[in-house]
Amino acid sequence: MSAPDGIALAGVSKTFAGRGKVVEALRDVSLTCPAGSFTAIIGPSGCGKSTVMRIALGLETADTGEVRIVGDTPLAAARAGVTGVAFQDAALLPWRSVRRNVEVPLEVLRQKPAEHAERVQGMIELVGLKGFENALPGELSGGMRQRVAIARALVTHPQVLFMDEPFGALDQILRRQMNVELQRIWTETGSTALLVTHGIDEAVFLADRVVVMHADPGRIVEVVDVSFDRPRRPPLFSDPAFHKVCDHIAEVLHGG
Amino acid sequence: MAAETRRHRGIFNLAALLILWEVVGRLDLVAGGALPGFTEILARLWVDRADYPLHIWATLTASAVGFMLGNLAGIGAGVVFALSATALRLFRGVNVAIFALPPIAIAPILVLTLSGMAPRIVLAALGVYFVTMTSTVIGLSQADSRATDMIRAYGGTKRDVLRLVQFRGALPTILAGLRIAAPNAVLGAILAEFGGGGRWGLGAYLLGSLGRGEPDRLWGIGLVATLIAGASYGAFALLSTRFLGATRAVTLNTAVPTGKPDPGHPLKRAALAVGSLALPFLMWWAFIRLTGVPDMIAKTPLGVVDYLFVAPTAEAAQAKLLAALGQTLPITFLGMAAGLAFAFVLAISSKLIPHAVEAFTPVALVTQTMPLVALTPLLVLILGRGNALTLWVTISVTFFPAFVTLAQGIALVPRTAGDLPRVYGASLWTEMRMVTIPAALPYLFAATRLTVPRALLGVMIAEWLATGKGLGNLLNQSRGYLDYGMIWTVAAVSVGLSVAFYQLVVFTERRVLRRLGMTTAE
Repeated sequence: MSAPDGIALAGVSKTFAGRGKVVEALRDVSLTCPAGSFTAIIGPSGCGKSTVMRIALGLETADTGEVRIVGDTPLAAARAGVTGVAFQDAALLPWRSVRRNVEVPLEVLRQKPAEHAERVQGMIELVGLKGFENALPGELSGGMRQRVAIARALVTHPQVLFMDEPFGALDQILRRQMNVELQRIWTETGSTALLVTHGIDEAVFLADRVVVMHADPGRIVEVVDVSFDRPRRPPLFSDPAFHKVCDHIAEVLHGG
Repeated sequence: MAAETRRHRGIFNLAALLILWEVVGRLDLVAGGALPGFTEILARLWVDRADYPLHIWATLTASAVGFMLGNLAGIGAGVVFALSATALRLFRGVNVAIFALPPIAIAPILVLTLSGMAPRIVLAALGVYFVTMTSTVIGLSQADSRATDMIRAYGGTKRDVLRLVQFRGALPTILAGLRIAAPNAVLGAILAEFGGGGRWGLGAYLLGSLGRGEPDRLWGIGLVATLIAGASYGAFALLSTRFLGATRAVTLNTAVPTGKPDPGHPLKRAALAVGSLALPFLMWWAFIRLTGVPDMIAKTPLGVVDYLFVAPTAEAAQAKLLAALGQTLPITFLGMAAGLAFAFVLAISSKLIPHAVEAFTPVALVTQTMPLVALTPLLVLILGRGNALTLWVTISVTFFPAFVTLAQGIALVPRTAGDLPRVYGASLWTEMRMVTIPAALPYLFAATRLTVPRALLGVMIAEWLATGKGLGNLLNQSRGYLDYGMIWTVAAVSVGLSVAFYQLVVFTERRVLRRLGMTTAE
């Protein structure tokens, strides 16, 4: 028996009713992410890419269609500690230290943080924040805060890792550094990853497959395979082959 | 550096004020000695020092117990309302009534139905409840949606979100609420002492000294009351600045807010509206049944209708009530309009004469902590017992909170919004017309909502204590005549009027602001 897919969406549709008009956020979206794969979703604002993730996380329910996370419903998967999540802008609790922020998922899952102290410390070291365990988010730089969010997303050893524009608030230079690190961390954990992003180069650098979406209604228009060898290194950013893939995705994005 | 200069200037202003006060007081320049010099007041305080401990103790215990009970109720209700929009809508009537009721109007009722310290405690608690409840609801519902999503993404329940995100996040807002609530508790206790006839308490002391023509003693009591209220405000201000540091989100939440929740089936909405309207009356009725006070003394809603429309004395009662309303309402509107207009003009002119307004702002802020209305006896000394007194009490109780609300609102207008017209060479007046005045509009409405009950309270207290006219006097007289029906009627009518006027402001505010594409300011 083969392992179930990490993420499986089949025929998912979703409409929002707001102020007299109905927005068709998603129409018939189907997406399968095999276990251990890295998938990126890219698209213009309002194409429903974040909605895909919110539905997969169980934060929204789909009007039609089916969602499975490692063979389970999103809520059951979340309760079982299968998923990890990092949001745009880190979303740290400002009154908790780095360590206590990383512990939050454990607390929600009713696991005693004290019993996992070693794992928490390991995650903080993995993202390179050793020595900042007791700092408050307000004392950290934007890049460091984002690392805390990644450590928090990984602390439960998730089989499925969701990231919604995790580096959206960072500048281009920092963003590339974080991309390289994220790849390293992801390789070490071997989880199924889904990344929602605005950045074409970020998507191509990290993902095995890039899913391109269009808006009105939100739908998938093409899935681009990216087959560069891993581990991918920063020089790849200036490789002509890399740019060819990026250019192709840009064309698809602009309706070419 | 700038903060230090400002502090120095503040100390300088304060010293200048005290010296001016001393000179004016010593020379008996105000109303033939109604305003004694500052040192004269201190000297009198020393002479009276034996009287104070028991009075202070009585006021302090009543307001402290009321403060605690009111906060328990306010925070508990706030949590329930934050979790259930249905409960919030059902209790809207009760909440608005509690916000809008002029405490002095129900003080006699509480004295009739409860005994001992209970009336003072209840009035103090009522003054606290609304502020704390509102700040709890706002604090809890303002939780960072990103953090909330994060908890929910791990399968967290509403309780987990409350525990891990909302409570701690709401703490600064709740503390800011407590800061405003604390002086309210002191005011509530003092007002109940006015109407309660007990021996001890600063309110009783103030009332007892009113007829003796000793300005220095009255001022001393006022000073002590202000100090107590101000100290309670300061204690919570200190507490909240300690917490604020690590609570503000580091980055701005860019998530798009998900509009208002679906209002539900029209039938459900209608049922809620009816329930919300009926609930205050139900609670009134239940309160009387629970206290077990005989029908002779305690009137149910039906009892009041009976008294005012059915009983043989109904016509006389109506005539008295209408005459009182005819005296109270015009002066309430006039005082309120004048207070709001002064506040509006001064607040928007902060752009024109920034220094004058800057110097004045601390004074206005300090008055926020004063039980202003409780100081009416002091104004009696200066202004006598005519309509001028009522008008000035009303203006002063509406002006200060309105000014603070407006000034803080205008300070929020982004600089660039004002820079834009200036870049195109607009005059200061054009800039004001295009940016400052429209931007201040939501805050003018917020200030109006805030001052409705205060204006009525101010007028009624002045009438009760001094002028012998209108609703306040009718209430006081009815106590003397043991006219229980009239006491309940005046209370119900004044609360009803206050609520109705408040709703009128809310209604106008929604329509005007919606047409201008603005949202209401809290």
